[in-house]
Amino acid sequence: METGGSSESPVETKKPKSKTPRKPKESALKQKSPAEFFAENKNIAGFDNPGKSLYTTVRELVENALDSAESISELPVVEITIEEIGKSKFNSMIGLIDRERIDEALYDDFETAKAREKRLAKEARVQEIQAKNAALGKKVKEQVAIKAIKGRGEASFYRVTCKDNGKGMPHDDIPNMFGRVLSGTKYGLKQTRGKFGLGAKMALIWSKMSTGLPIEISSSMKGQNYVSFCRLDIDIHRNIPHIHLHEKRDNKERCHGAEIQVVIEGNWTTYRSKILHYMRQMAVITPYAQFLFSFVSDTSDKNVSIKFARRTDIMPPVPLETKYHPSAVDLLLIKRLIAETSKQNLLQLLQHEFVNIGKAYAERLIGEMGPDFSPKMLVKSLTSQQLVRIHQLFRQAKFDDPSGDCLSPAGEYNLRLGIIKELHPDMVATYSGSAQVFEGHPFIVEAGVSVGGKDVKQGLNIFRFANRIPLLFEQGADVVTRTALKRINWNSYKINQTQDKIGVFVSIVSTKIPFKGTGKEYIGDDISEIASAVKVGLSILKNFSRLLEIYRLTALRLQTSIQQCCIQLKSKIVKKIQAREQQERKRNLSKYIPDATNAIYEVLKEMTHLHASKKRRYEDKDAELLSKVSARLITKDTLREKLAQHVEQVDYEMALEYATQSGVKEEPRENIYLQLLEAEKDFIDFHGPVFVFRLFQ
Amino acid sequence: MSDRRKRRRPDPDSDSESDTRPFKHLLKPDATILSSLRTLASSAAASSSKTLTLSDLRLSAACREVSDLPPSAVQSAIESLAVSLARSILSGQGFSFTVPSRSSANQLYVPELDRIVLKDKTSLRPYSSVSTVRKTTITTRILHLIHQLCLKNIHVTKRDLFYTDVKLFQDQTQSDAVLDDVSCILGCTRSSLNVVAAEKGVVVGRLIFSDNGDMIDCTKMGMGGKAIPPNIDRVGDMKSDALFILLVEKDAAYMRLAEDRFYNRFPCIIVTAKGQPDVATRLFLRKMKMELKLPVLALVDSDPYGLKILSVYGCGSKNMSYDSANLTTPDIKWLGIRPSDLDKYKIPEQCRLPMTEQDIKTGKDLLEEDFVKKNPGWVEELNLMVKSKQKAEIQALSSFGFQYLSEVYLPLKLQQRDWL
Repeated sequence: METGGSSESPVETKKPKSKTPRKPKESALKQKSPAEFFAENKNIAGFDNPGKSLYTTVRELVENALDSAESISELPVVEITIEEIGKSKFNSMIGLIDRERIDEALYDDFETAKAREKRLAKEARVQEIQAKNAALGKKVKEQVAIKAIKGRGEASFYRVTCKDNGKGMPHDDIPNMFGRVLSGTKYGLKQTRGKFGLGAKMALIWSKMSTGLPIEISSSMKGQNYVSFCRLDIDIHRNIPHIHLHEKRDNKERCHGAEIQVVIEGNWTTYRSKILHYMRQMAVITPYAQFLFSFVSDTSDKNVSIKFARRTDIMPPVPLETKYHPSAVDLLLIKRLIAETSKQNLLQLLQHEFVNIGKAYAERLIGEMGPDFSPKMLVKSLTSQQLVRIHQLFRQAKFDDPSGDCLSPAGEYNLRLGIIKELHPDMVATYSGSAQVFEGHPFIVEAGVSVGGKDVKQGLNIFRFANRIPLLFEQGADVVTRTALKRINWNSYKINQTQDKIGVFVSIVSTKIPFKGTGKEYIGDDISEIASAVKVGLSILKNFSRLLEIYRLTALRLQTSIQQCCIQLKSKIVKKIQAREQQERKRNLSKYIPDATNAIYEVLKEMTHLHASKKRRYEDKDAELLSKVSARLITKDTLREKLAQHVEQVDYEMALEYATQSGVKEEPRENIYLQLLEAEKDFIDFHGPVFVFRLFQ
Repeated sequence: MSDRRKRRRPDPDSDSESDTRPFKHLLKPDATILSSLRTLASSAAASSSKTLTLSDLRLSAACREVSDLPPSAVQSAIESLAVSLARSILSGQGFSFTVPSRSSANQLYVPELDRIVLKDKTSLRPYSSVSTVRKTTITTRILHLIHQLCLKNIHVTKRDLFYTDVKLFQDQTQSDAVLDDVSCILGCTRSSLNVVAAEKGVVVGRLIFSDNGDMIDCTKMGMGGKAIPPNIDRVGDMKSDALFILLVEKDAAYMRLAEDRFYNRFPCIIVTAKGQPDVATRLFLRKMKMELKLPVLALVDSDPYGLKILSVYGCGSKNMSYDSANLTTPDIKWLGIRPSDLDKYKIPEQCRLPMTEQDIKTGKDLLEEDFVKKNPGWVEELNLMVKSKQKAEIQALSSFGFQYLSEVYLPLKLQQRDWL
């Protein structure tokens, strides 16, 4: 296996340094490739540490797989496998011979004689205490296995494989799609999961940094009779792919899709739950996809294999690529649009490159711009001053809000199904808001609230999604969390915030959601200078606050959405409480009989004493009752029996009433979805405006 | 140099500072202030006409009021209730209580009386309903306990009552709420049930009264003052040479005034209930007002809750409106700290607090209340508070020195007769 690629670039940079060590400032002006920038600042893309890197790798691959399948309207089937690779296995993979330690004291985890003494003494003490406990007959806890001391160099390696049934990739594009950072197919203005095509490449950069092993891709497109196989890594210094093998193989199964395999350093132990959470939340928001997740290691008890089954075949529509809204563009963007446009004159530019500008409106705008503008003037002849003027006008003029048609929200139906499928809640309510606008970008908020369910902890469980990707990190500061915690009065919906298992699901989709760590707009296709690269970094920070801004704007919307859900739930909860009351009524009513009757009887008894001792006089009717009490004709038990009889009767009447009111049915049943056994199309659909008629052949 | 003469305890150190204390120079000699206070006291004594009662008014809506009943009357009321309950059970009907509703929908502010009264709406509390079974049981249990108290004629605290059956009552708020219900059902005051709350209020100053036969001189009670006795019927023989009663919201301000012997400089009686007033303090204040015929001036925080506390003393609380006749003290003047004082006395920014959303909401709600509306001055102040969105506690005055309250602020307020 070739590993030379990884050592190439560092050697090159070192050489001049060692020759002229005294004048390091001579080469102050350096060029840095985007790949280099991201290799050095990999935390921006979510590769902070080995654990997070494993998580991010999984997530990037899964999201790419989903995008790929959705782009050809294929119900996604994604298989993701993480295989743990032991040290010796890893060494053999890279062709390194396992060396025994010769000089033990050289290593960081070497136990000195003193430390050994200490440890033995401690162990002896523990044993002593245990023996004592055992002698005293106390229950002895299983001795906790002494944690293996892990040295610094003891990294764990994983092979991550992701297989999908998506579009696949054209044979010749594969090297560039993986081996060149900041090149991608997702640069248009539309709602996408991907972050400007950085993910898979970052995984590759990470694998190169931690293991030096190349990435393996096999892909096949629909109708191709071959499978493209490619093994490559990346020349970080030059930001170009370094191809090891690129060939066409036989496609026996005639399948389409891609399989990507990468070996990276990671940390399964600490990020296990994050990754599983991610998969689960992904399954919630994409119930139309099927996920197969498995973790394989040498010790079989650590193995995990989960199948997230498909619950529906209704996919949200593919998000449409849309044109820019005038209030959403900046100067740079106007310049770029002009450079790329095929339109000749200003009128056409305004009319066709932006949304919400009609012909008449464009003419009015041009009239407003000033005397040196005319509808027929050539766009290429616009001076930069004139561009500034256009930009200013765009900022100040009034435009209709962009419509949310280009967005593809998960949909209430899918969100609901997802929640039911993964959490099995007792109750669920969903709500979908209408499109709103922020700085020329439309966005839609959808929310769901569930109560109860399996594997849900008590209290609030918050699930956040942005453009249908789960957000797992930095939950505390998030507006969804804050809204759910502070601005919703759960009590008024008969939901107990601390006792009930509440699930809160909020999904925001937009043409521009600044995900943590990236901003699509600011990345050009040809960044090569470090200055631009730093700008990317800065804009990322800027987007952070932008995200907060959007969130602040949506906060109110969010609150109403969650409240809507709660209102729906309330009626269900009330019904449920009624049903429970139904069952427990008799028990509850009977429980207090002794207390109530005792209290009354005690007063009566006191009265009989007073009556008997003639301290007090009572009316004849009362006296009659009192004499019965003193003659023990009426006792505590008489009262108790009578009251119990009454309770019995009331309970019977109420039960009858409840039955007539609610019918025989106990509670509304959920519809279940049955998947077709054979997905082959042997039917014809007749589409009407409100229904689809399916004729099976 | 008139400044120096005014000071009770001249102190060379602080004397040079006294000029720097804001508004100190405005103060006139104490004698001037005292004479103006004297006219106030005499006018209060003269103007106190016959207090109106509900029956005088002939209101269109029927109202419910309770009266003090002797233990024997309470006992027989409970007994006849018990007999009727037993009859009802024996006839197989189960049983139920008819409880006067104490909800806010059943409250009525009577401007002529300047207090809240309870209307006559009642609700049925049947045993055989899941939602009321607990409350009904607790009610019977409390009735039984009260019956025993009346038989033996002893007093217990609410806490005592709660602990007789913790398992049933679960927490004290439940037994306390039912206790008020029982008062309403039987038509007697809560004191007649022989149940009292723990002592909370304290009084200090120019007041002499007898507590259970012992004469108490409130000028000789040290700094802490005398705890207001829970049973008002033990209190009598009130005598005083004070010119006014100073009602203080906070314990801290009360301590300051007591330690500085404010009541010796300006003869007064200082009372506090340390926050929301309890029944005993309200009864005591009313008794003082009625017997001594003194004007009452209130010193509360400049926030919605300060005004709320003021209103409880003045017009009664909704929870105990059934007994508002005995619990309220008419004609309490709002001395301070009023929202307008914040700017008037140049209280520094850092001592003011921004009002929370909850505060502002409470303030706006208060503006809708009749007892605020009847006093245009209060409405103005409250509007100012809600608009400026700032609040301040009495302690904010300490920014000019701990004794600013007793040595400058209050004397100046009294001098200017600045109350609403």
